[in-house]
Amino acid sequence: MNKIVSDLPLGAMAPLAEILLADTAIKVELPPSQYMIAIERYEAVRTYIEREGSPLQGFVALFYPQGSMAIGATIRAKRRDDGYDIDIIAELLLAIGTPPAVVLDLMFKALRGEPGSRYYDMVKRQTRCVTIYYADGMHLDVTPSILVDQQDLRRSNIFHAKPGVPHDDKTLEMNSHAFARHFRDLTPVDFLFASAYAKRAWLADAALAKAEAEGVPPHSSELGGKSTSVVALQLLKRNRNILYQPRTSLRMPPSAMMSCLTAEVAVPGRSIGAALGVISAHILTSLEQARASGNLVDVCNPKCRAERFTDRWPENLSAQDLYIRDLRQFQVQLAMLMDPARSLKEKGDLLAAMFGEQPARDVIRDYNLRIGQSVQSGQRLIGAGGGVLVGAPAVAEAPVVKPHTFYGTRWPSR
Amino acid sequence: MKGLLAQAQAMRERWPGFEVTSGLGPRSLIWIGDLKGLERTFRVWIEYGLPIPGRHLALFRQMPVVRILSPRLVPNWEARDEAPLPHVYFDLKDLTLSPLCLFDPERGEWSHACLIAETTVPWTVDWLACYEGWEATGEWYGGGRHLAPESRRYG
Repeated sequence: MNKIVSDLPLGAMAPLAEILLADTAIKVELPPSQYMIAIERYEAVRTYIEREGSPLQGFVALFYPQGSMAIGATIRAKRRDDGYDIDIIAELLLAIGTPPAVVLDLMFKALRGEPGSRYYDMVKRQTRCVTIYYADGMHLDVTPSILVDQQDLRRSNIFHAKPGVPHDDKTLEMNSHAFARHFRDLTPVDFLFASAYAKRAWLADAALAKAEAEGVPPHSSELGGKSTSVVALQLLKRNRNILYQPRTSLRMPPSAMMSCLTAEVAVPGRSIGAALGVISAHILTSLEQARASGNLVDVCNPKCRAERFTDRWPENLSAQDLYIRDLRQFQVQLAMLMDPARSLKEKGDLLAAMFGEQPARDVIRDYNLRIGQSVQSGQRLIGAGGGVLVGAPAVAEAPVVKPHTFYGTRWPSR
Repeated sequence: MKGLLAQAQAMRERWPGFEVTSGLGPRSLIWIGDLKGLERTFRVWIEYGLPIPGRHLALFRQMPVVRILSPRLVPNWEARDEAPLPHVYFDLKDLTLSPLCLFDPERGEWSHACLIAETTVPWTVDWLACYEGWEATGEWYGGGRHLAPESRRYG
């Protein structure tokens, strides 16, 4: 009888749904090669803003990632599938009372530069940030901030100023830096899972494989290190994006709220499926509790109470109810996905409904390729009750299965 | 050639979940048990008989005959590969009970000297794993080859 000596995360003995969820997350997240590009661009932008002659030369105190980039949960853009949005904070050494429009215009001028310069045709002044649009679909949002209190590090003001609507200008307090640290502290990396996941992500990254073939060394120290809670959060955000893609006039539940609630229930050692179940249930409960008392959910940055993650969503009870229904549906779908009695076809259909057709199709195809190759090459073990085990460590007791070739008739009309 | 006792003994040791009964003809056995390809459990029937002069045309006396009892195989006439079912000897009475084609007889991959427990059953696991993929995508990733159309059917 075969004896499998280890049961590593995402290993040969892992439930099928767990493998499919991991591979789906890898398909929708920022891949290692794009992460490296984002880091290069981030560095280039910082250098550019501080260049000689820039209106912000000598005024940039700190440059740091915020949002999903800061917690390692970046996925494909919200309403499109062709790129990634990277959020950066540029902490400026400006007077605390500087008007919002002045701060944002300064940042825009510093990034845009002179006609013909690097970013001149790539930048757009937004209401709260300046966006750089790259040809490959990546967006870099640079949000200027000013530190509020030297004794409360990174508690900062950011600015809202819509050109042409000066009466709406406002200053908002936030501390995304402290929140990112808080999130990372509460979602510690499970080393075994992180290693297994990072290995899969690297193997799935075609651009990285090409770069390695060309001798470009990857910066492995900057990559990997994900917990199942972060992977589950990515998948929940992806599910939200898919559901809200056709709801073009509606705001989406904010990622910051989802991240904050994820951190509240994160526990190392869970599977992705279990983490998804717990996190989606916690978000659902938070929304249902608010609704039961006739209120809208209110989630603040635990490290900066003035920063309300739910300040723009839900706008009303019906917006809240809509996502409650979405989460209930998600929980039913998740239970079906985890059910071992469901066929691969059913699981593929569920993945498509939950996370989009393209990643689901790719994940099922890649999985079948691995199974098919392992069967054809004989590089697999057979479990005690059956079940092809791919990637199981070689075990001395495991009998070698004689090679074989599938055979048979073709249907005559074909 | 392995005797039925040796086959039954090996099956009991390697696949204790299978139940064995006498076959429909003399010197034959039928095993019924559960097997997984990936994660879903299938009920599998294996019929095997020793060669008997004058009865050599019966498929189960040439090789172990494996059929899937439940869940029923799902023919897909639109599948890109292997429509309506992959790598089977079509049973025209009931396609869903078509015996699986697990090895190439022309390459001598199976003989009566082989133990069913060490060949037919793990090969069935391989087939089930690839069938799950085929059912999901209409593509067969398990490789294999075919004999000429209509040269062998069953039933």
